[in-house]
Amino acid sequence: MYSKKPINYYSPFLQITKALKELGSIGAMFLETVYQTFRKPFKLNYIFKQMEFIGVNSSVIVIITGVFTGMVLALQSYHGFRKFGGEGLVGATVALSMTRELGPVLTALMVTGRAGSAMAAELGTMRVTEQIDALTVMALNPVKYLVVPRVVAAFFMLPVLTIISDFVGIIGGYIVGVKLLGINEGAFITKIIKHLDLDDIYNGLIKAACFGIILSLVSCYKGFYTSGGAEGVGRSTTEAVVVSSVSILISDYVLTSLMF
Amino acid sequence: MNNRMVSSELKVGIMILIGILILFYMSFRIGKYGVFSEHGYELTAVFINAGGLDVKTPVKIAGVEAGKIKKISLDGFKALITLTIRGSVRIPVDSRISIRSQGILGDKFLEITPGNDQKILAQGGKIQDVVEAPDFDQLFASVNGAAKNFGETMGELKGIISEKEKANIRKSIENFQEASGDFKNLIKENKGNISRVVSNVDETMSGLKLMVKDVESGKGTLGLLVKDETLYNDAREAVNVLKTISAEIDQGKGTLGKLVKDEALYDETKATIANIKDLTDGIKKGEGTLGRLAKDDSLFIETEKAAKKVQKAAEGIQEMTPVTILGTIFGMFF
Amino acid sequence: MEDVAIRIVDLQKSFGEQRVLDGINLEVEAGKITVIIGKSGGGKSVLLKNVIGLIKPDSGEIWIDGVETTSLSERDMNNIRMKFGMLFQEAALFDSMDLFDNVAFPLREHTKMSENEITSTVEERLKQVGLTGFSEKMPSELSGGMRKRVGLARALVLDPEIILFDEPTSALDPIISLTILDLIKQTQTYFKKTYLVISHDILGMFRIADKVAMLYNGKIIEYGTPHDIKRSTNEATKEFLNATKIPGFTGGDL
Repeated sequence: MYSKKPINYYSPFLQITKALKELGSIGAMFLETVYQTFRKPFKLNYIFKQMEFIGVNSSVIVIITGVFTGMVLALQSYHGFRKFGGEGLVGATVALSMTRELGPVLTALMVTGRAGSAMAAELGTMRVTEQIDALTVMALNPVKYLVVPRVVAAFFMLPVLTIISDFVGIIGGYIVGVKLLGINEGAFITKIIKHLDLDDIYNGLIKAACFGIILSLVSCYKGFYTSGGAEGVGRSTTEAVVVSSVSILISDYVLTSLMF
Repeated sequence: MNNRMVSSELKVGIMILIGILILFYMSFRIGKYGVFSEHGYELTAVFINAGGLDVKTPVKIAGVEAGKIKKISLDGFKALITLTIRGSVRIPVDSRISIRSQGILGDKFLEITPGNDQKILAQGGKIQDVVEAPDFDQLFASVNGAAKNFGETMGELKGIISEKEKANIRKSIENFQEASGDFKNLIKENKGNISRVVSNVDETMSGLKLMVKDVESGKGTLGLLVKDETLYNDAREAVNVLKTISAEIDQGKGTLGKLVKDEALYDETKATIANIKDLTDGIKKGEGTLGRLAKDDSLFIETEKAAKKVQKAAEGIQEMTPVTILGTIFGMFF
Repeated sequence: MEDVAIRIVDLQKSFGEQRVLDGINLEVEAGKITVIIGKSGGGKSVLLKNVIGLIKPDSGEIWIDGVETTSLSERDMNNIRMKFGMLFQEAALFDSMDLFDNVAFPLREHTKMSENEITSTVEERLKQVGLTGFSEKMPSELSGGMRKRVGLARALVLDPEIILFDEPTSALDPIISLTILDLIKQTQTYFKKTYLVISHDILGMFRIADKVAMLYNGKIIEYGTPHDIKRSTNEATKEFLNATKIPGFTGGDL
C-alpha cells in the first residue's frame, strides 16, 4: 500500500518544494480572496465583526506595546545622544522610529500573536469539524465567508492600530524624554516637526495595511488547510504565527527598500 | 444577533474615527503638505553646483522658512532649481539667493536675501542674483595649496636667514615692540592733548568762519590789504612816507609850515586816500578776488571738510592702538 | 429516469496508491431512503463527498437529475448543491452562531425572506426536530444528539430534494441513536424526499432503509431491500452481519 522507500521529510529539496507549493497556494488564495471581495453580495456584517475582533479587541495590547516602545526608545536614544549633546533629537528619533518602523511592525506582530493565531485556530477547527465543508455544501464559497472578512478587516484595521501605536509611542517618548529626563520640551517637539514628514507616517500606514493582508492571509491559509484533528489545529496555529511573523519581517525589508 | 452587530459596527466606527483624528492631528502639527497648508507660488534659480540640495530642502529668509525646493533638474549643464514659496511671502526682483549650511556638518539650505526693488517676483519668476556655495572640496583644496605655499616660503626663509639675521630680526622686532609700546603710551598719555588739539582746531575753524563772514560784510583790514600787491606796496610806501613825515615833524621841523611848504606831498596823500576809498567800494560790490572768495560758499565747505579730516586723523590714531597690540602679540609668536 | 435521483457510474478515486473507490455503480431511487453500509475507512464518506462535489473523482460519472456533475464548474455545481441538504457526522454547526442563527443561515443566504418569515420557518423546523425553546443556545452547550437534530433541521430548512446523511448515529448512545433514526424516518415519511445515508450501523439502518447497498473493497457488492441483504449468501455481507450478533442474545433480528 505505502511506498517502501522511506521519505526523508527533512531533505532540503523537499522542504523547498513544499515551501514553493505553499507560496503558490497562498497566492492562489489571495487571488480568490480579491476576486470574492469585489463580488456581490458583500458580507459587511462579517467584515465588521472581524474588524471588531482584529481592531478593537487588539487596541489595548497595541497601545501598551506602543507606549512602552516609545518610552524605551527615548531612554536608549537619550543615553546615546547625551554623549555629544544631541538630547534634542530624542523626540525626532522616537517619532521616526515609531512611524516608519516600529509602529507598523510591532502592531502587525502583536495582531499576529493575538488575532492571527485565533484565525488559524478558528478556521482549523471549522475545517476538522467539517464546518467549511458545510458551507460548501450549502453552495456558499467558504473563502468569501471566512477569509475575505478577515483579510479585509485586517487590511483596514492594521493602519488604524498603527496610527494609534505611533501616537501613543511618541507620547511615551515625550513622557520619558521631557518629564523624566528633562529634555527641553520645545526642542523635543520642534525636532519632531522638523524631521518627521507626512510621508513617513503614510508609508508606515501603507506598510501596516500590507502586513494586515499578509498576516490574515497566511493565518487563514494555515487554518483553512488544516488536517489531522485537534493536533492539526494546534500545529496550524503555531505555523500561522511563525510564518506570518517571518513573512512580516521579510516583507518589511522589501517594502521599506521600495518606499523610502 | 442584530444588537451585537450594531454594537460591533459602533465600536469599529469609534476606533476608525480615533485613528483618523490622530492622523489629522499629526498631519496638522507637522503641517507640511496637509490640507491646511497655504498655497504657494513657484520660482526658479540656476546654480552651477547644487550639491547637497534635495527636494524639500527649506528656503529661508532671515533664518525663517519661507518655502521649499520642489524640484531639482538639469538645465544644460547647470542645476535648475524650482522653489515653492509661501503665498504670503513677497520677494523683490533684485533678491539674491545663496546656498548656506548649518555648520560644517549641518544640512544645506537656501537663503534668500531680499533686495530693495519695488517689483515683486511672480509665479514662475527667476531669481537672477545667484551666489554659488563655497564648494568645500574646492575650499579645502585651495586651503591646502595655500598651506603648501606657506610651508615652502617658510622653508626658503629658514634657508636664507642665518643665526645672525635671526638675532637682528628678533632685535628689530623687539625694537618695534618697544616702539609700538612707546607709541601706545604716548597716545595714552596724550589722549587729552590730542583731543584738546582737535577742539582747538574746531575753535579755530569757527573763528575762521566768523572771520569769513566779516570779510563778506566788508569789515576788517584783511579785505583792504589783499586785493592786489601794488596797492599793498603803495599803501606801505605811503605809510612809510607818512612815517618819515611824522618823524620829521617829530624832529621839530614844523608841521603846518612843512605841509604848506611841500604842496606835492599833500596832493599825493590825498590821491592815496581816494584810492583806498575806491578799493573799499570795490570789495563791497563783490568785485575782485577777495570779494569773490568772500561771497563763495565753497570756501566755507572746503574749510569745514578740512576740519573734519583733522578730526578723523585724530580718531585714526586712536584706532591704531588695538592694531598695534595685535602687532605686538604677533611679534611675540614670531 | 424519474425515479432515479442519483446515478453513479463506474466511479473511481485513489488517494496516493490507495484505491478507495474502485468502480462504483449505484442508482439511488427518488423518494426513498437508501443506505450505504460499509466498514469504517472503507470509502463511504469519500463516496458521499464525491456526490456533493467536495471531492472530484479520478474517473466515472455522477448524474443528478439528469446532469453529469463531475465535470461541472464550481458555479454550476453550486446550482446542483442547492438541491441538497446534508447532515454531517458531527453536525458541523457553526460554533459562532446560536441554534436559531445556524438554522436560519441557509435562509438568510439563499432566500429573500423577511426576518419574520425566517423566524417562523426556523421555529417550525426546530419544533419538528423536537428542540423548541433552545434557539438561544450555542452549539457548544448542546449534547451530540441535540446537535444532530439541529443539523437535521438545518439540512431540511431549504426543502431540498436530496438529503445526505454522514454516519447519523455514530458517537451516540443506543437510545439517542434510535430517536435520531426515528426522526429521520419520520421526516422522510412526511416530506417524501430522497435520503442517502452512509453508516456502519447495519442494525440501525435496517430500521429505516428502503434500499441497502453494501460497499466492500471499493465496490458495491450487493444492493437490495434490507430483507434481501439479510438473506445474502455473499461472504463479506455475512461476515458483516455476523459481527453484530452477540453470543447469548437474540438481538439484531427485526
